[in-house]
Amino acid sequence: MAPAIELRSVVKDYGSVRALRGIDLTVGAGQVFGFLGPNGAGKTTTIRILLDLIRPTSGTASVLGLDSQRDSVEVRRRCGYLPGDLRMYEGLRGNAFLDLIDSFRPQKRDPQYRRSLLERLDLDPSMPIRALSKGNKQKLGLAQALMHRPELLILDEPTSGLDPLVQQEVAKLLEEAVVEGRTVFFSSHVLPEVERLSHAVAIIREGTIAAVEDITRLKSRAVHVLEITFAEPPPLDLFALPGIRELHRDGDVVHIQALDGIDAAIKAMAAYRVVDLRTEQPSLEDFFLAHYSAPAEERTRDALPAERD
Amino acid sequence: MRYRLNVIEKSLRDQKWQIVGFGIALMVMAALIVYIWPSYRTTVASIQLPEAVQALLGSDLAYSTAPGFVSAEYFSWMPILLIVYTVIQGTGAIAGEEGSGTIDLLMSQPLTRWEMVVQKTVSVCIGSALIAGFAFLGFLLSVPFVDIEITLKGTALACANMLPIALLYYALSLWFGSILPNRAYAAGGAIALATAGYFFSTIATAVDSLSWLKYASPFYYYGAGLPLVKGIDWAHVSLLLGVAALFVALTVRSFARRDITIGGASNLRLRDMLGRVLG
Repeated sequence: MAPAIELRSVVKDYGSVRALRGIDLTVGAGQVFGFLGPNGAGKTTTIRILLDLIRPTSGTASVLGLDSQRDSVEVRRRCGYLPGDLRMYEGLRGNAFLDLIDSFRPQKRDPQYRRSLLERLDLDPSMPIRALSKGNKQKLGLAQALMHRPELLILDEPTSGLDPLVQQEVAKLLEEAVVEGRTVFFSSHVLPEVERLSHAVAIIREGTIAAVEDITRLKSRAVHVLEITFAEPPPLDLFALPGIRELHRDGDVVHIQALDGIDAAIKAMAAYRVVDLRTEQPSLEDFFLAHYSAPAEERTRDALPAERD
Repeated sequence: MRYRLNVIEKSLRDQKWQIVGFGIALMVMAALIVYIWPSYRTTVASIQLPEAVQALLGSDLAYSTAPGFVSAEYFSWMPILLIVYTVIQGTGAIAGEEGSGTIDLLMSQPLTRWEMVVQKTVSVCIGSALIAGFAFLGFLLSVPFVDIEITLKGTALACANMLPIALLYYALSLWFGSILPNRAYAAGGAIALATAGYFFSTIATAVDSLSWLKYASPFYYYGAGLPLVKGIDWAHVSLLLGVAALFVALTVRSFARRDITIGGASNLRLRDMLGRVLG
């Protein structure tokens, strides 16, 4: 079975700015694949190349085994797409907009599935689009991408603007798509979201793929920042352990950063009386700084499959 | 079923109030001009306009005759209204959808770029024809009831004759929208060319030494109210439509080869625009 997505040395220049510096990426079919990177890393550029909305300066992209440029109509027929910068015809009502998208699709219509999608996303499709909130527009965008049950879903920041309950529903919908044998490729700049939704993840940074990880490995590499309040100041060398960095100490309050899980830190502090323990959600930037800011050569080594597990 | 005409349908639905608005304006003006003719007839009968002034009216027909009056007061400048409509559509088709960002979802559908351009063009042809139809309706509601020496057939031909020049400016603005940074540039370019065309044609007729200029103006080939008496000049019509078709083809070429932008490409440099022109 052809990979859902295959990018080979894809370079994209905007004038003198190089947005993509040679992307190589293979996304196997039948999984939820996260595409993680900070804003401006090249996620949207990569996604728009897949649908032939923009053309790579060099390199090739294939989607579902088809050439993204030569067979672009067939690619778009078999994909559902949610743009990152979602703009719809403001004058239409939700239903009319979905009808319009439907009219382009040769797939048999499934009004029942469409209705159930809208119910599960909790969206009233009779409202004019211009009257919808940002979150509700996003729901409509998701509905139009999902309603034909396309083989490949390409979603640019799918949960942007959605409240946590709806985000959970979206996670379920994506998981269901995979159970039906379809593939989901979605981008995000939020680490926990990618951890929650995907089976595997590619990390893009400054126009190159920094790493491809499966999700258990990614989770094990999560950066934890702990704030520990002891009953009395602990020994100065308490956290002088591999994978742990002491960030800050103020009497009996100690801030540490744990790079490879928190187990070692918990065991070390267990010997002393702990009054309070707080964990902070590290930002994506912290995560990158911790794992992917090494020199290029080290970073490459890090990304090699042989290095995993 | 892939070859649905849904872009045509969607475009026409978007334009419906514009079509009705421009249509009613052209219809009311037509009826008005015809109804005031009897009271003007005696006044203008004795007028012998100087040649230069006659030229500025935009047609060779004598102002003191009914066809000349209707030509000067209506057909010499009404196409400009129709051109306003087609330029709105032409700049909206690509540059407008890029500016509003809706183009991303549209072009992520199984639709080729040429199909998109051609379907939008067909919708503008239909829309313009409907507006010209409204104009004819204005004559239909007035000519039979007024003592005026023009025929309904003549007015029908003259109304239809407004279409080629309007479609030419549509095609130009469409092409501008596919190569210039955004809709404002495209509209500016098309309006500048329309204005230049109008004045080239009138000034060239008035000033002998500049008479060659008229051949550069689409308005010369349009011929205002001439179809009222002489029927359609098919050579001129073919020329206008041929140039229009050429610019639609150039649009397809440049649009099919370039990146689709969201929110326009305001940082587009001259070199990039040349790239868009040349492919």
